[in-house]
Amino acid sequence: MAMTRREAFKTLAKGTLPVLAAGCVSTALPTAARAADDNELESNSKYRKVDEAHALGLLYDATKCVGCKSCMVKCSEYNELKPDTRVDGIHQAPPSLNYFTKNLIKLYRSDDGSDHSYFKQQCMHCIDPGCMNACMFGGLRKDEETGVVWWYGPKCVGCRYCQIACPFHIPAFQWDGFNPKIVKCELCRTPMQKDPSKKEPGCTKVCPTNAVIYGTRKDLLAEAKRRVAAAPGKYYQDKVYGEHDAGGTQVLYLSRVGYDKIGLPDVGEASIPSTLKYSHMAYKWMVLPLLLYGTMVALASKNFAHHSHHLVEEQKETGLRPQL
Amino acid sequence: MTRWERSVPVYGVPVLTRGFWALCALIAVGLVLTGYREVAGLTAGISGMTDPFAWGLWKTFNVMVLTGLGSGGFAVGIAAWVFNNKKLHSVMRVALLTSCLAYWTGLCMLGIDVGRPWNFYWVVLPWQWNLHSPLLEIAVCMSLYASVPLFLENLPPIFEYIIYEFPKWRSIAETCESVMAKVYPFIIGLAYILPMMHQSSLGALMVLGGKRVHTLWQTPCLPLIYVWAAAYLGYNCVTLCILLAKLAWKRDVDPVVMAELNKLTVWLVYSWTAFRFLDIIVRGKFLHAFTDGYFSILFWVETALTLGSAYVLSTEKGKKLSTMFNAHLLCAVGGMIYRFSPTTLAFSAKENAFYFPAAAELIVCLTFIAIAVLGYLVAVKKLAILPGSNEDWMKMAKYEESIKPGIQLTGYAPADH
Repeated sequence: MAMTRREAFKTLAKGTLPVLAAGCVSTALPTAARAADDNELESNSKYRKVDEAHALGLLYDATKCVGCKSCMVKCSEYNELKPDTRVDGIHQAPPSLNYFTKNLIKLYRSDDGSDHSYFKQQCMHCIDPGCMNACMFGGLRKDEETGVVWWYGPKCVGCRYCQIACPFHIPAFQWDGFNPKIVKCELCRTPMQKDPSKKEPGCTKVCPTNAVIYGTRKDLLAEAKRRVAAAPGKYYQDKVYGEHDAGGTQVLYLSRVGYDKIGLPDVGEASIPSTLKYSHMAYKWMVLPLLLYGTMVALASKNFAHHSHHLVEEQKETGLRPQL
Repeated sequence: MTRWERSVPVYGVPVLTRGFWALCALIAVGLVLTGYREVAGLTAGISGMTDPFAWGLWKTFNVMVLTGLGSGGFAVGIAAWVFNNKKLHSVMRVALLTSCLAYWTGLCMLGIDVGRPWNFYWVVLPWQWNLHSPLLEIAVCMSLYASVPLFLENLPPIFEYIIYEFPKWRSIAETCESVMAKVYPFIIGLAYILPMMHQSSLGALMVLGGKRVHTLWQTPCLPLIYVWAAAYLGYNCVTLCILLAKLAWKRDVDPVVMAELNKLTVWLVYSWTAFRFLDIIVRGKFLHAFTDGYFSILFWVETALTLGSAYVLSTEKGKKLSTMFNAHLLCAVGGMIYRFSPTTLAFSAKENAFYFPAAAELIVCLTFIAIAVLGYLVAVKKLAILPGSNEDWMKMAKYEESIKPGIQLTGYAPADH
């Protein structure tokens, strides 16, 4: 096998082959990937082990939200975060999620002012999260029982790749101080662990109109579908955002205005990690890198032997020490 | 016509020049700011980074662009040793030195950029790795490459320096040299496979960026196009270093080797451009090259700089050294813009989000470039790095022997091995 590869390499042109070979390592041929259609990525997501009946999430219905922001206040209280009042010193009104703010209510208003909708922002708790796939050592992880995505400091290097990988712009980095943290909604995991009398996250507990409710993804999805079926045409495209988006999320949204207007981009139905499918193919079992390494060492050994011989010959002529 | 036969140090020139002290001053300022960053964090005064633009210059330029420029050790080396292009052996030491400096300063910048560097020790415990993370791949392969094969490849000039300058240590250095010769093919094999892996993973990083990276750049083939660009950037960097040495220290140039470097650069750029266009066309996005305003212009600027320079290099005019220099420079700029685009120039983070580096961020970025330049300037004057002829070596030997009595640089008997 090695011999035939070696010969094949020899016959190919010299100029671009190194990078072509690199390409084989990095971006295995799409056709090969399609043919194999492996489920390797699923192993990255602990969700497959999470019983669907236990996966927890939220259902936020933007048509019910009155924009009172009590969920923001309760969120700060539950998570012991300092309210972000930096805009005017009075109101808790940060412009976006940040390291004071795990939960945010914003207002969408159309350009002519004729249409508006409140919307809530917090972690979507993806079934197959991009942030978790990006993280080097598992600083972001999925609770094996509930599927909640949470940050584990001792494994976080502070590289902020999770921020690049999250299409919803959720993880926030603490830009001040020498010991920064990644701050994001963890569905009040820690407050509920600390105080067993807390049975649900702050935001759902306090919401006066039940615009946001808490439960298992299975139940929430059924409820969302019931609401859509009960009022056809009420919700945008009769769609539950998060059912399939980004491979499915444990937080589900219903809205009358377009989802792209309320901070939920059109990310497609493939999960974020699955975009790297082809790259992973190239590393499978490390076969390709090892084969390439073997081939290169074999060729380099031969060429190196010739070169060394040539150097010794030269030294006889010139009396100068050979240089490697 | 000069023929390059061996590496010869730059001699008769002081190390401690005015430029040296100017670089030292910049580095001092930069290191103070780095210290301040470690205490204060990446706050607004220190960096222009924000949550939507979580990566700034230190990662996107010092690491993702400059290690591309420092890929000479990989790109030239693979042609010389694996594909037996004998003409390129003479420039290998320049390639390896530039790679080593680019990688080490890049790794330092990574350490300064990340918020919680003390947790990086997990990298030595493979069972803690998330094998699905492209960044993990980079962290492992890049640090392994810089600290093992690239480091070892740069040792021979240092061994030689010891042999000539410190006769007491000569036998030890010679033993090291012969051990190195025995394992060399295994080292250089690693020195090629590791950059293939991490230079492509640098591209894979932004695949996870999804639709925020403009569609002309965002492709499943981004890793391949990224490592391909690194290959010609490596050639650009080596050629520019040699031409600058000609300019600064009147080092003679071997036209045969230069022609070979040009030829390979030209073919790498041609094939890279062809592949890039093919990728865009196959994905059905070619119209975006005309309809997307700023992004379309950026795309054509990259293409014009690289393709135009490669075309000039392929013509008779490209043989003139001044034209050659300009062409390689513009080609490198084009390639660097390409490597910078997916993370910054063609990255639409969020509506109204904007990134521009803070002054301190810029100074620290330049500081680590200055460290590399300083290291390069000292190394080529102390060690045999830049290519020259045997005649140059004789002249250098005569000069050195006249100022340092007892030193012997010529008349060596054949080595035992």
